Amino acid sequence: MDSIELQKDSAFINDLESVINKDGPFSGWELFSMAYQAELTTSSPSFNGLRALDYLPHVDFLDHQVEVAEQAIEMMHGRAILADEVGLGKTIEAGLILKEYMIRGLVKNALILVPASLVNQWVKELNEKFYIPAVAHRKNYSWKDNPIIISSLDTAKRSPNQEEIIDTEYDFILVDEAHKLKNHKTKNYQFVRSIKKRYCLLLTATPVQNRLIEIFNLITILRPGHLGNYDSFIEKYGKDRRKLEQDPYLKQLIQKVMIRNTRKATKLTESKRKIETLWIDFPETAREVYDDLVNTPIAFSTFSKITYLREICSSREACYMSLSKISERDNHAAVLKPLLTKIEELPHHVKAEKVVELIKSIGDEKVIVFTEYRATQYYLQWYLQQHGISSVPFRGGFKRGKKDWMKQLFKDHAQVLIATEAGGEGINLQFCSHLINYDLPWNPMRLEQRIGRIHRFGQEKDVHIYNLVIRNTIEEHILKLLYEKINLFEKVIGNLDDILAELNISSIESEMESIYNESTSAGEVRIKLNNLSSIIQGAKNDPMVETEERLYGNH
Amino acid sequence: MAITNLNQFLTDYFSAKDCEIISNHDGVIQIQLNEQMDRELMNRPFYWHYIKKIGRTGDPMQLTLITNPQKRDEQGEWIHFGSPRLQQIMNHLKEKEKFTKLFQSMDVTEKTALHPWLVINFKISYQGQHKKDEIISIGLHLVNGMMKLDMMNLLTKFSLQTTISDYCFTLSPMIKIKSGYLRMEAVLSNYIEEQEHTWAKKSSELLEEEIQTLKHFYQGDEESEQMQKEQEALMKRYQPNIAMNVINGGIVYLQQDAL
Repeated sequence: MDSIELQKDSAFINDLESVINKDGPFSGWELFSMAYQAELTTSSPSFNGLRALDYLPHVDFLDHQVEVAEQAIEMMHGRAILADEVGLGKTIEAGLILKEYMIRGLVKNALILVPASLVNQWVKELNEKFYIPAVAHRKNYSWKDNPIIISSLDTAKRSPNQEEIIDTEYDFILVDEAHKLKNHKTKNYQFVRSIKKRYCLLLTATPVQNRLIEIFNLITILRPGHLGNYDSFIEKYGKDRRKLEQDPYLKQLIQKVMIRNTRKATKLTESKRKIETLWIDFPETAREVYDDLVNTPIAFSTFSKITYLREICSSREACYMSLSKISERDNHAAVLKPLLTKIEELPHHVKAEKVVELIKSIGDEKVIVFTEYRATQYYLQWYLQQHGISSVPFRGGFKRGKKDWMKQLFKDHAQVLIATEAGGEGINLQFCSHLINYDLPWNPMRLEQRIGRIHRFGQEKDVHIYNLVIRNTIEEHILKLLYEKINLFEKVIGNLDDILAELNISSIESEMESIYNESTSAGEVRIKLNNLSSIIQGAKNDPMVETEERLYGNH
Repeated sequence: MAITNLNQFLTDYFSAKDCEIISNHDGVIQIQLNEQMDRELMNRPFYWHYIKKIGRTGDPMQLTLITNPQKRDEQGEWIHFGSPRLQQIMNHLKEKEKFTKLFQSMDVTEKTALHPWLVINFKISYQGQHKKDEIISIGLHLVNGMMKLDMMNLLTKFSLQTTISDYCFTLSPMIKIKSGYLRMEAVLSNYIEEQEHTWAKKSSELLEEEIQTLKHFYQGDEESEQMQKEQEALMKRYQPNIAMNVINGGIVYLQQDAL
């Protein structure tokens, strides 16, 4: 008892005396006893358990979400890495933890740092689901006026915001997409570390298991010294991830601050992915243009040539736009003029026709169409409208408010959402279960992001994914040599990052660029792509990568 | 005494605040607010400012509260233990209904003495790595010094009013209010001290452990600002403390031997 500080209420009795001296104002019995009842109702009579569940009768929490919240509070004392796989509801877990602390009066102010594209979504979720009065940070807001602020990391670390934040004592800090903090030399990292904070949650779907040192860095934000200091850690474990497998003690230490559930472990796999690739042939005229492009005498860099080829597989418009640009700029007019004329004369794109056919066969259900090109997006919107199909566009460049508005339009009024690549991140569209990959991105992570918009927590139906691919073109290469081989469509590719790191490939896109750039013939490209995919395939079957979930999983 | 029947609680509340209950069926309550309650609950200061400025009386709103979850899709606000509306009402209660002076209602024709009781409702919060509350209601007879626990519950069997009944008079306290209060505090301190605080011990141990870990991390750099910051955060997170706060309290005059 000696070590426990006891605070007494010195103000009340003086106030009571002075009210009695003034003979009022007094409360009647009803209101007086109601205030007492209110206090009895809102107090927390036990250290354990989640009071928040009684306060949120309208939310159906899943078992694993409640377990995560309890574990983070009771075992990890409010400092934890939540690393559930994509789509298992990390936001909900974090909201539940924050709510619990607020109900118990342990958190009065909080700073929530999330990607800019997700700010509004977080605000909405915390307000509507959890009744947490969180507000998005706006220019000229004081960081101190609102107790619960949501902001992007980039905004927060800019001056003078950074100074104001560092100056504040926070009860609770949350960082979403925390894998961005894995490098301790970055400004982001140093900024987050220097914030004064009591409780702290780091959320990440791609667990930072690439390098041990990255885990070390994240954990150091939460509990410095938990894994020893930097030098001793490097000395003991080096930078080798394999050490983790060999050292059960280290594994245990990591489990003390990190919670990871997998779809498999939570039995949330009911919603399946059904993939269908629709093979299409170019009609004669379009084929001619494609071959002309392949055989053009102009010495384009191989990569830009590939770009034009990909574009002509997407729409006349996309290809026409880029070709006419260089035709003016680089004095290729003489060679390109006939080609451009040919493109102009092309009939409707065979893929667009296919999309209409496909959407009609899907019936009344909502469909998302993804394309890589803005020009294609415009074209498709017009083309669908000609066929009586309503659609709304979506781009990453839209302002937050416009994004929300487009999403709402799609939900309530339009059948189709046509999104460009950049639109892939930051919207949740669980109410839709059909996705058309009008063209395929070269970066498999982006593909996963596309699918992740609809195949996520809350999706009740099976998800249908359609790939439109034109035979004997560059599209066929990509699909056959890369995607199909490494089975990307079927599996959540959380591991891909690790696989690439393992192979020392920094980005699959640049790897492919260089393959195309350095190859002199189509045959050579095919062989090299083949090699690449078998390496990835090989690494994936490496038992070390397979054990990831065993290492970090809590089940 | 915690709220179990929300519908009853709300109708009692709005009646006590002099608002008319227009209807109350099947878990849907319709209330006509008065000006004061409109100002307190509806958050429209500009409206009232404007109305007063042009010298009109204003038009308080009606409120429809739904306590029956089956009816939550009907027009109105679904109100439950987590909803902002109920939080708002409970916060108003806790802020505003702090002091009382009450008299037992008597139906007598001869002179009757009423004895003064000091009634204080305490909330004790135990906070270490986690937090819990204990609520204790105490009554102290300000003439003979008798002390009763669970006072609020005991008081429910009387009819209490803010004015004194005919033929009744109050006895003056022998014990001053302040010293009465200090007696209560002493009893509570004693009660707290006699408990076994395993939670605090555990929390202190955790704190010690964490500080050691921290020191290990900052070996050779113990004076750094970052380390100080981290250590402060640890103290805040684990350092056990107990807070004794008053929810509300006041004087209640009861007949002799009422309790």
